Amino acid sequence: MIDQRDEFISEAQEIVEGLSRDLLALDAAIKRASGGHAESDPEVVNDAFRAVHTLKGLSSLFGVARMSTLSHHLEDLLDDLRLGRSEITPKVLDVLFRAVDVYNIMLVALRSGEPEPAREVEELLAALGATTSREGGPSQNPLGDYDLDPGLLGVLTEYEEHRLRANLQQGVGLFKIRARFELATIDTGLDDLKARAKPHGEIITYLPSGEGGDAEAIELDVLLASRQTLDVLRTELAAPGLQIDPVARRGARALVSEPPPTVLGEPARLTTPPSAPQEPARLASPRTREVDVLGEGGREDEASAEPAAGLTIRGVAQTVRVDIRKLDHLMNIVAELAIVRSALGRITDRVRGMPELRELGTELHRLHRSLDRHLGDMQGGILEVRMVPLGQVFDKLARVVRQISREHDKDINLVITGAETEVDKLIVEELSDPLMHMIRNAIDHGIEPREVRRERGKPDTGTIALNAYQKGNHVVIEVQDDGAGIDEERVLLTAQKRGLVTPEEARGLLPREILGFIFLPGFSTKDGASELSGRGVGMDVVKTNIGRLGGVVDVQSELGIGTKMTVTLPITLAIISALVVVVAGRRYALPLASVLEALMFDPASVRTIESREITNLRGQTLPLCRLDALFGLPRPDGAPPPVRQFAVVIGVGNHRLGCVVDSLIGQQDIVIKPLGRTLHGVRGFSGATELGDQNVGLVIDAPALVEEILAPSEAGRLMGQRRLGAGGEAS
Amino acid sequence: MTQRRADPPAARRGALARRAVERGARTEFLAFRMAEEIYAVPISYVKEILKLPPLTEVPRAPSDVMGVISVRGRIVTVRDLRRRLRLAETPSNRRARILLAELPVDQGGGERVGLFVDEVLHVYRFAEDEVESATNILGSELAEYVAGIGRQQGEMVILIDLRPILGGATDKGAALPPALAAAKGGG
Repeated sequence: MIDQRDEFISEAQEIVEGLSRDLLALDAAIKRASGGHAESDPEVVNDAFRAVHTLKGLSSLFGVARMSTLSHHLEDLLDDLRLGRSEITPKVLDVLFRAVDVYNIMLVALRSGEPEPAREVEELLAALGATTSREGGPSQNPLGDYDLDPGLLGVLTEYEEHRLRANLQQGVGLFKIRARFELATIDTGLDDLKARAKPHGEIITYLPSGEGGDAEAIELDVLLASRQTLDVLRTELAAPGLQIDPVARRGARALVSEPPPTVLGEPARLTTPPSAPQEPARLASPRTREVDVLGEGGREDEASAEPAAGLTIRGVAQTVRVDIRKLDHLMNIVAELAIVRSALGRITDRVRGMPELRELGTELHRLHRSLDRHLGDMQGGILEVRMVPLGQVFDKLARVVRQISREHDKDINLVITGAETEVDKLIVEELSDPLMHMIRNAIDHGIEPREVRRERGKPDTGTIALNAYQKGNHVVIEVQDDGAGIDEERVLLTAQKRGLVTPEEARGLLPREILGFIFLPGFSTKDGASELSGRGVGMDVVKTNIGRLGGVVDVQSELGIGTKMTVTLPITLAIISALVVVVAGRRYALPLASVLEALMFDPASVRTIESREITNLRGQTLPLCRLDALFGLPRPDGAPPPVRQFAVVIGVGNHRLGCVVDSLIGQQDIVIKPLGRTLHGVRGFSGATELGDQNVGLVIDAPALVEEILAPSEAGRLMGQRRLGAGGEAS
Repeated sequence: MTQRRADPPAARRGALARRAVERGARTEFLAFRMAEEIYAVPISYVKEILKLPPLTEVPRAPSDVMGVISVRGRIVTVRDLRRRLRLAETPSNRRARILLAELPVDQGGGERVGLFVDEVLHVYRFAEDEVESATNILGSELAEYVAGIGRQQGEMVILIDLRPILGGATDKGAALPPALAAAKGGG
């Protein structure tokens, strides 16, 4: 039962996400048309309609009454929209976007077992009631102008008739395609024709022609609305047994009569350039994955495969939805195999070292290499399956931008690049909150009011750029605005008011250190909290959440020009690259994502300020942390630390910390495993990993370590006012 | 498959059954040695017995945590009962084993934990009348960890109560009785 409900929730979630994408596409179409008649892709409206219809069915099946009621009313609205009974306006879209939010609230409540939110639904239903006052039907009736078979007109559904009218009103030409299909292959044949016709126009309907059929074949009349010329269509759609004729426009507006047996003349055409109804710019990436972890594909693929066909419950997509825990399990097995492989490798080396077994050794070696290769492929394959495009989270952000900018009456253009960049599913899930905070900050603090922008000679419309790209084993996401920038003076003033830094210390701070203050809990330079941000919560959440994912946030800002936040994340949490180091004879793994550099440690450069060790790195103060002392590790036989030690510089956000270790073993790809419940209270480790030979190495939690050493006082970081937190038993 | 693994002879099965009927319900305990004493835990809690794999110590962990090991890809915390029971710690030899134990979920289980023992002995089947309450005998603060004393043919086995050791409530040293916590401090 519980599984079924989970299944329902995740499916509903997907549908809602799809709905949100459709709405964004409609929104974009309206903006493009700005002022004029919105020429939105009917397919998108249909898609939204179908999404809500499916939600209605699902939710009533699972007894989620309010969701079902809401879906029912939304369905009515969307039905009116797709049938052209009412127009898609920004106001209507507001209500629909609100519906997406309410759906999400409901799903969250459902997942945590809370009752369905009543107030939100009631409010939305009221808003829906206000919008669904239907407008008058189409003013003219252009249908009569065309030489159309009355038999055909008589069987058009309401939707088909609407589409036909809509196309004719826009001056789109009408063509009749007569195609012959073998009965055995009619399904694929028809789909094929639809797919080929789609780029050139819209198929209104198709009917058996009533002629030319026999026992094995049937002839269909397909009514196609297209801006293409007859010649283009004839070349593009050419197929055996296929005949394309224009549907002639009559001079008089006589009513339809007997079908003319042959073509009468050129189709009615306007001078508009030949362009098919434009596919709205989709934010989501092209989907090429076969297995679809999120289960994104199903509905969408289905929709494009069967344009304008009625609702179907038949899944066409070749995808399966997989619980991510199953993938974790597979990953564990691969990690086990990797250990077997290295054991085999050692045996192979031993055998090869025996002269009398040379031949066997060579063979073993070959097998080992092949195992190695296949295992690598398998690991890569599983990782690939876990990857989902960042577009998923970007879609949500686009919704947020739209909502907030409307609330604040700021015009904002969100420019998204790199939505196809893929990262681990778990990371995508965790990313939406931090990115949302950053975007909110950009809109609220960053982009100036219209008048101010004009004074500064900036365009009225502010720009927020959301940029993602892959960089080695990392994904970089940038949130950049062309707003006011962060005023360092004010940040410093606030920091001084809070007692975080004294005026003397403030003079020595570097710009990036000053900007680092905004990541502290409760830090806000804005007087008076606004609805959105400025309450001082947000940037510290961003830092913590990103840190938990093994990532870092950096901020760059220029006063009056804009702010850029850069988030750097590992591509996957399943396998990460780590630097393996040795401290007092024990091996530890440091996630490479946090490692900035490793250098020879020069004990002579160490200065102690109030029991805290610091050194100098290229003119900057670098706090030090001796891991052996922090972890309380005795050296075998009480030996002194080696003369040659290394400092591994780790960076978390804007903070740097030099960890003193005995030696560096090298870089290794590791799978982080959680520590048991017994060890939850132990600070400084994010998990453990197998380092081969059955040996387990602990993975150092760099953000926690930095936090432990440098917190709570940021100022103490520089002045060494805080006692060194080394030693001491874990809670 | 069943051909290779023969069932116990019918006669023996009969004898076992008879004895079970005579003495009432029996519980199986796995006995092991720590220091020079014999202890036992209900065998249903023991999922697996491992030879000592390389152990990785965890800095700043509670003092009875010996370290972590990897069991088929899973990281398992190994705990040292000797420290809980205030026993002498002799260096481990070839006979040392780790019992992978897990409490039923309704008793606060869910985490599989490794228990270090000096040597695994054999299985005892105690009837109810062969187990006597530990409070009569020990009366000390250790009674919390002792479920009772099993006696059979002149042998005496201390039955350990794993709940306070493996259960969620006593994960941390702080939850120990004050006397014990004091005794263990500084470890």
